[in-house]
Amino acid sequence: MSPGRSFLVAASLVSLGGLAGCSGGDGAPSNDGAPSLITSTTPAGFPKGTNRDQAPASNALTEDRARLGKRLFYDPQLSRTSDVSCATCHQQAYGFSDPKALSAGVDGRMGTRNAPSIVNAAWGRSFFWDGRAHNLEEQAGQPIENPVEMDLSLSDAVARIAADPSYVEGFRKAYGEAPSVDSLPKALASFVRSLVSGNSAYDRHLGGDDGDFGPQRQRGEALFLSEKCECFHCHSAGELTNEGYFNDGTYTEGGDTGRQQVSGRVGDIGKFKVPGLRNIAVSAPYMHDGSVPTLEAVIEQYDAGGRGDPTTDPLIKPMSLTSDEKADLLEFLNSFTDPTLLADPRFAL
Amino acid sequence: MPEASSGAGGELAAGGASEAGDAPIAGSASGTDDESIGWSASASTCVEHPTPQRKNGTVVSLLLRPVLEGNPFVFGQLNPLASGDSLIPLNFRFYISEVELLRHDGTTTAVDLVTETGDLEPYGVHLFNAEEDESSSMRVLAPAGEYEGLRFALGIKLACNKLAATALGDPLSDASQMTWPHTGGFLYLRYEGRSAEADGAGAGGSAGAGGAAGDSSAGLEILPAVHMGGNLVKELVPHVTVSGSLLVPQSGTLGYGLRVVMDEIFKGATSDIDVSDTSIGFRSTPEAVAGERLRRDLPELHVFELEPPVMSP
Repeated sequence: MSPGRSFLVAASLVSLGGLAGCSGGDGAPSNDGAPSLITSTTPAGFPKGTNRDQAPASNALTEDRARLGKRLFYDPQLSRTSDVSCATCHQQAYGFSDPKALSAGVDGRMGTRNAPSIVNAAWGRSFFWDGRAHNLEEQAGQPIENPVEMDLSLSDAVARIAADPSYVEGFRKAYGEAPSVDSLPKALASFVRSLVSGNSAYDRHLGGDDGDFGPQRQRGEALFLSEKCECFHCHSAGELTNEGYFNDGTYTEGGDTGRQQVSGRVGDIGKFKVPGLRNIAVSAPYMHDGSVPTLEAVIEQYDAGGRGDPTTDPLIKPMSLTSDEKADLLEFLNSFTDPTLLADPRFAL
Repeated sequence: MPEASSGAGGELAAGGASEAGDAPIAGSASGTDDESIGWSASASTCVEHPTPQRKNGTVVSLLLRPVLEGNPFVFGQLNPLASGDSLIPLNFRFYISEVELLRHDGTTTAVDLVTETGDLEPYGVHLFNAEEDESSSMRVLAPAGEYEGLRFALGIKLACNKLAATALGDPLSDASQMTWPHTGGFLYLRYEGRSAEADGAGAGGSAGAGGAAGDSSAGLEILPAVHMGGNLVKELVPHVTVSGSLLVPQSGTLGYGLRVVMDEIFKGATSDIDVSDTSIGFRSTPEAVAGERLRRDLPELHVFELEPPVMSP
């Protein structure tokens, strides 16, 4: 979660009220009549196990926890100025990313990196563009405390939440305790872990249904998996990320050094975590700094072999793609869009 | 290759447990300490939890330590070369599996790769990843005895190589960064790096974008990328023999260094071996050609060197 704008201020405190005990999965109604947030869907080609399987033992994924996390996700009380929520920068219509290159936090303070999509983060192995968080529980509290994002200490956030009896009841049901600096990030992590996108044309293609995966997309896929384009080196087929850190040629001297700020290694200059590509067509702009406005421009940048900085990964090389090949690649990338996720009312405010 | 070993009982169980029943590893086929099943019996299968070679033994740690021109080859850092330039490794990882210890009589005994806690490594495979320090420690559960070296597969067997990574857990998942979907299968060894002038710390390099050009140092040609792999239909994984005195005590733990000589990797990758026969794999890129040359040249190379014990028994 990253900084963002303030238009969601008033919208966040929709009463999820009692957070009645829930059960079930797969979007089936729970015992309070509301559909479950947690499904057993695993996107095609993802590592084995559901999102529930990916949760740590210390924060097992339950319906109560995901629902509590959803309420927190949309709640601007978690920012010092009470006008920025997680959802400010991670908007469902954009694949839970921000359509702005860089997001604005409290008092209009600007961040330095593009807010990434957080769908399918349940299967992630590290978080943030530089991978400084090892799990979602560790990640979830950092934007709240970041001065250019929500700028509120976790203890102050807990104090605000604890003043609301309905929240206290929600935490009691979910975690058996009052809100705390431990359970608040856990609840947010649980909601993020429930955000599964697995109904794109690409998912269906991997499942054997090519009804929406015609010849052009198939040609694009072949290019994506070829040594000519080498996209697959980082965006492994299926999950579309290998969870690693690479310098894709976007970095130029004097810019954000990314992973190097965490590791201290000169070889990590310009390396950033490889993002998954589900819903990539709706999550513009692109790259860690949001500096590439369209997918067409992304393809052009890779076709040129990056921006020419000597730190660029040796596998990023000029490709000399034809215009037809670029069009095929673009159409393949478009197949990653999952309209179901983008409009799923269960994840909306 | 593998066969029954000579008697060497009395070892500790894996993970330091003193009784077989306490060990996290299930029983071997024979139920004794001095026999291993051998790797040929499981050659056609690839399972996450393979049958262990034995119940008990002594954990021997082998610390994988890359070196170049006799100096430690440090991941992500400027490694000075004799030429005056420096080399920055950006990605270096490889698989090791099917480890055997060599006896003086010419026989071998298969040993399991185990984790720090004594559990078998999944799929019987160890992934060295220079980015993760903990992967430098490779551990085997071995019967006590005096050996004159070890032998192992530098890669994974065909039965594993032809499985889809999406169906597999670590270290064979996509996160291994060793999957190669256009051919299917995995890389056995992956190296990428870039060169930089010795005084170029911080900024990066001088050898062109991405170190696309090769470098040379003291007659050694250094490539920006080497990708060694196999294919889906032939058993192509190379085996490496490492000579050197290797004592496995009856109790306690012992650690040896296992140097990974980058000079030999680059030497093999730049050999003049003819790899124009493309019938066994996909080798259209410079890094894949380099990898295939390395694979074929491995019997003539000394990529791994056993160092004296680093801990007392």
